Amino acid sequence: MPSSTPTTPIEDSVPKIDEKIAVGENLEFQRTWWKFERVVWTLFLLILIADVLGVFGRGWLSKGRVSDAAQTLTVDYEHVARASTPSIMTLHFGPNAIHNGHVQLYVSDSIVKPLGAQRISPQPAVSSVGRDGITYTFDATELPASVQIALEPSFPGRHPFKLQVVGGTPVQSSIIVVP
Amino acid sequence: MPTIIHAVAGYFILLFIVRVLKRRAGSQMTLFEFVIVFLIGGVIILSTVGNDRSVTNCTCAVIAVGLIHRSLAWVKAKSPTLGAILDGTPLVIIRAGEWQPEIVKGMKLRREDIEAAARSAGVTRIEDIDYAILERNGRISVLPKDS
Repeated sequence: MPSSTPTTPIEDSVPKIDEKIAVGENLEFQRTWWKFERVVWTLFLLILIADVLGVFGRGWLSKGRVSDAAQTLTVDYEHVARASTPSIMTLHFGPNAIHNGHVQLYVSDSIVKPLGAQRISPQPAVSSVGRDGITYTFDATELPASVQIALEPSFPGRHPFKLQVVGGTPVQSSIIVVP
Repeated sequence: MPTIIHAVAGYFILLFIVRVLKRRAGSQMTLFEFVIVFLIGGVIILSTVGNDRSVTNCTCAVIAVGLIHRSLAWVKAKSPTLGAILDGTPLVIIRAGEWQPEIVKGMKLRREDIEAAARSAGVTRIEDIDYAILERNGRISVLPKDS
């Protein structure tokens, strides 16, 4: 018994040019697309300029400095950092920071967790936890003295932090982490 | 989870960049265009897998990309507009033996590209081309004049 498979006659589904060839050209769309491309490439150029300047971190505009009124603690950091990318926070201690050959530095938990502190250099003599953070004690002789914290934020967002030389006023700011 | 998000983002970024590049990036690749494709692909891979280079992670990334690709292919088949956005439309470069300067300039085509396509079609002289069409995949179809 012959099968009765339904069939569909073939026909052009796209517009023909010169009534000859079915191409399906859409010149109006293409003209719009060229305009769109020009806008996109201008935008790409602006993104690259912004990146070179450091708008997205690791450049001139991303460098930040914050200190307390008495200059006991000055922090150099990148206020725009990139997720999963190392950055360095440098803490400079002022004249009133050293007491009895030690500097005691309070670091908020946000430095350790969302901002991903990888290591602190030099290594503190003593670490103690409490007050939503860690207090490090460094042996110190005389100025200038500084400590570096290597950060590697794990996820994007705005992450506030707080640092304080014990006995001084807190230094607070935030780091914007971009993906 | 981050790998899947990165893979999805990487797929769309790559798709977008390649789409706003001129169409020859996808076909008739010269060494010049190989550099672009390999470099862009290599950079996206770094962000996609991150520090986790396990088989599990890479497999999940590949599955995610495959799934998006399949979904987009399905949507493209349903929507001609999205098809045009993603793949472009065919463009007539030579029409009834006449150059279409708007297309040649807009697509940054070179005469040599059309000549190469003509040779592939067995046409030895560019004057013998009746129609030349830049296809969506970047190939140039050449139809010779009736002899």
